[in-house]
Amino acid sequence: MFHNMFKLCNLEIAKLLREYIVAVGAESYYHKFVPRANKFHPLHFFSSTTDNLDLPANPSCGSFILNAVGIIRAPRGDGKETIVLVTPYNSQNTTYSDAVSLGIGFSIFSLLSHVTWLAKDIVWLAADSRYGEYTTVDSWLKDYHGPAFPGETSRIVDDACFEENNSDSLDHIKVEGHNSYVYKRAGTMAAALVLKVVDKKEEERDSLSIYAEASNGQMPNLDLINIAHYLAVHRQGLRVKIGSIIYFLKASWVKLLGEMLQHITTLAKRLNPKWKFDITSADYVEGTATLASSIYYQALGVPTGSHGAFRNYQVDAVTLEFSPRSSLNNENVRSAFLLKTGRLIEGVIRSVNNLLEKFHQSFFLYFLTAPHKYVSVGIYMIPFGILIAPLPIVAAALFSSNNGSSNKDGSWKWLQAAKVVFLIHLWAMITSLLPYVLLQLPLGTPSSFASAWAAVAICFLLITYLILWSSSIDCGWELLKSVMIVAAAIGLSLMSVINFSTAQIGAMLIVPMCLLVKPARKQTQGVFAKALMLTSNLALLVVAFPPAALLIAKTLFGASGNIDIGDFWEWAQILWSWNSATYMYLLWIHLPCWVLCLNIFLYPCIGSSSKA
Amino acid sequence: MATRDPSMICCFRLLFLLLFSVPLIASSSSWASMHHNNWAVLVCTSRYWFNYRHMANTLSLYRTVKRLGIPDERIILMLADDMACNMRNNYPAQVFNNENHQLNLYGDNVEVDYRGYEVTVENFMRVLTGRHDPAVPRSKRLLSDEGSHILLYMTGHGGDEFLKFQDSEELQSHDLADAVKQMKEKNRFKELLIMVDTCQAATLFNQLQSPGVLAIGSSMKGENSYSHHLDSDIGVSVVDRFTYYTLAFFEKLNMYSNASLSSLFNSYNPRTLMSTAYYRMDLYQRPLPEVPVTSFFGSVMKTIHTDAAYMGLSIPPKTEAQFLPGDGGNHQLRIENEPDLEKDGNKQTKELHCIYHEWLNLLQERFENTDAELLFRYGFGTMVFLLTISTWLLA
Repeated sequence: MFHNMFKLCNLEIAKLLREYIVAVGAESYYHKFVPRANKFHPLHFFSSTTDNLDLPANPSCGSFILNAVGIIRAPRGDGKETIVLVTPYNSQNTTYSDAVSLGIGFSIFSLLSHVTWLAKDIVWLAADSRYGEYTTVDSWLKDYHGPAFPGETSRIVDDACFEENNSDSLDHIKVEGHNSYVYKRAGTMAAALVLKVVDKKEEERDSLSIYAEASNGQMPNLDLINIAHYLAVHRQGLRVKIGSIIYFLKASWVKLLGEMLQHITTLAKRLNPKWKFDITSADYVEGTATLASSIYYQALGVPTGSHGAFRNYQVDAVTLEFSPRSSLNNENVRSAFLLKTGRLIEGVIRSVNNLLEKFHQSFFLYFLTAPHKYVSVGIYMIPFGILIAPLPIVAAALFSSNNGSSNKDGSWKWLQAAKVVFLIHLWAMITSLLPYVLLQLPLGTPSSFASAWAAVAICFLLITYLILWSSSIDCGWELLKSVMIVAAAIGLSLMSVINFSTAQIGAMLIVPMCLLVKPARKQTQGVFAKALMLTSNLALLVVAFPPAALLIAKTLFGASGNIDIGDFWEWAQILWSWNSATYMYLLWIHLPCWVLCLNIFLYPCIGSSSKA
Repeated sequence: MATRDPSMICCFRLLFLLLFSVPLIASSSSWASMHHNNWAVLVCTSRYWFNYRHMANTLSLYRTVKRLGIPDERIILMLADDMACNMRNNYPAQVFNNENHQLNLYGDNVEVDYRGYEVTVENFMRVLTGRHDPAVPRSKRLLSDEGSHILLYMTGHGGDEFLKFQDSEELQSHDLADAVKQMKEKNRFKELLIMVDTCQAATLFNQLQSPGVLAIGSSMKGENSYSHHLDSDIGVSVVDRFTYYTLAFFEKLNMYSNASLSSLFNSYNPRTLMSTAYYRMDLYQRPLPEVPVTSFFGSVMKTIHTDAAYMGLSIPPKTEAQFLPGDGGNHQLRIENEPDLEKDGNKQTKELHCIYHEWLNLLQERFENTDAELLFRYGFGTMVFLLTISTWLLA
């Protein structure tokens, strides 16, 4: 089957798969759709399903995607639930790994068609990932969950298009009629698995990488990862890997910290055997790297694979990426590899099949520190809580200290500060909507987009300041700081509900800056204290600026290529094209807070209203 | 003569009745103290695939009890779900209680009396107390009498003084005690053995007070009862520890063994059970070492052969048929001391004892060849003649 696949191209693979599926005795159909470019639209952030507002009237015949889908109905089951298996392949550029993954998918499918213990239906989607894996799976899921009614023409693609292309198909593949395009469904999805085979050259053992993050930091139930991990390690002898940031694995300061902790905790255990939190240095280093990666990917809000599309419909899904220990051209290696991976997936499917309900006993909110270790929501909320707790206290302290000075205006001076803060937030909102306008302009390269964006933003900021100076709002920096801290606290708390990891990282950057900021020209006693204050303020301000943070992160963690201003535009583009809430957070909460801090740092006049 | 005292007449009549009733009473009490039959009520209260082991527990006990002699008509089997035909079962139509899959508990002759959603607390109480809707068939009724020994086995999920039925209701210990008390008052059992295999099983019979009841539970208050082992082929645990060790005890026995109840109760080791099997014998009069297990778990039948049907107790039995131990499963009735029955002629003469049958036979012989219509005419004419004569006489 593998060798056949190389000679065929796009649509023929789908036809071949359908033939095989029908030969096994299962139902099959084609899913056809036309992919659309994902444009920036402000409303996309607030809705998960978008209407086809910009579907062209006549979709061009060459740009549609055909997926083959197979359904096994459980012979003794009640047909209420399904398990979905997805094997993506690139029809334009089919590699050997793609063929192997399709082979694994089909062998499991044919096994499940004659097994006696099947209680749920099985759906196998061979997804053509020519224009992106996520797009295909997302479109199929949308059609699965949203029935098409005859009146809507936007979803029905003209079949005449397809028939014309059949003229040069191979003779032994029959041209099929209308029936093969009828969309068939199979019940609510209990769980989904996405299988991929990747040929990485530097492995000593067969390994499995598990990707679980979905959009906006959502994760599948931890039980699904536990099943895959347990079966892989204890039954099939695979090595399980989860993403980790290499910088932490190699950094010497992390290792030093790990060794210190090891000494302290073993000492504590010797004092009282009941304290079981001893940890070795290697565990600590590995845990830090994995935890950092887990927080980072959840904070980005971008799904790490096509399993993220399932999470939008509350279906638990993970991507299992297998890599063999040597090249798959060797017959023995290939058959052993197929056996291991097939058994693992059969085990996972049987476990999900024997359940009576969807996963709900384990955690939905967690970070992974190793494939079998996790930090649950009850524990990781505590550092965030501790970071946020001082904010209202400091705000109240500043407000009351300012109020103590006898001011004739009374206690309504904070309204002036509130006006300033509100105007800055308005500016930030306008800045965040700028890309929608900028994309209409034919500017070309990302760096030009980025510079245009920065220029327009600075223009608007200057206009805002002109408005402020003309209305002569002068409040005193303490009130401004207090209102800014309140705004930051509210923003962070709201963000923690939407995507906790973003709020966590954001709090780590914003809170020290907000709490420490003081005007540079403020007189303090002692040269050393003043120098310390200045340097710390500057450092925090620099680090908290989003592009600067990106720069630092890239130099430390990522590839060391030349960093262009266009990278920032691309990074922002990733965020908004995936409808990630992180984009909103950065531009609506983080940026205005930073601008206000900068404002306080560079506060012009230190009047009599300030206190030491 | 006419002036005899009416009270004196009453006294004489009472005395007369008493004289006649004494022997009757004596015979009924001696009749009641005999152990006549064994019944078994086996209840599995939990459903769903992950409670496979409760079904396997109950079916294992069913098989044991049948093997040791209690027939299906005296077993009430209540199973809350169907595991054999569950779609997750890798071995359809088979239920195992061991991962070696040697023994299929769900063979050809399993009679389930209450199945699926019929296993409710209400039906359970009705079975015990005997208060059924008139339409309930005999196979679903516990038709025990005052000479019955009843084995009541319950398994499922339980807790402190309750047993969970089907995830939606509970049987509480005072309900059970009430049912047993009603049974005692209605003389529905002579002795009752309650065996419970759930978590905190011993609390379920805390409230029992009726005499003649023996109870054993798999764990005490605050303890859990554990499953024995997981079958990785079927994917769930297949048997509970208490039942597993009970079966291990019974597999060594056959119908004629006289192992005692105390040896059964002492065979439970708290270390292997991972819980303490607690039994309650304060309501039970007989000493445990003297009670064979087959008086509850099996059925040694004593068959009394009578010469003819419908004569009741007035004719003493001519012979007694003894059960002789055959080989293997050969339980044929061999009748001794009865040379009479060999002759066919005697059989015929015995049939004519009934007077009604004699008269019918006579009539049939007489009118075999007669025309029925002629007979009718003659008979009708005679009737009319007699009628006219009688009316003339009376007038």
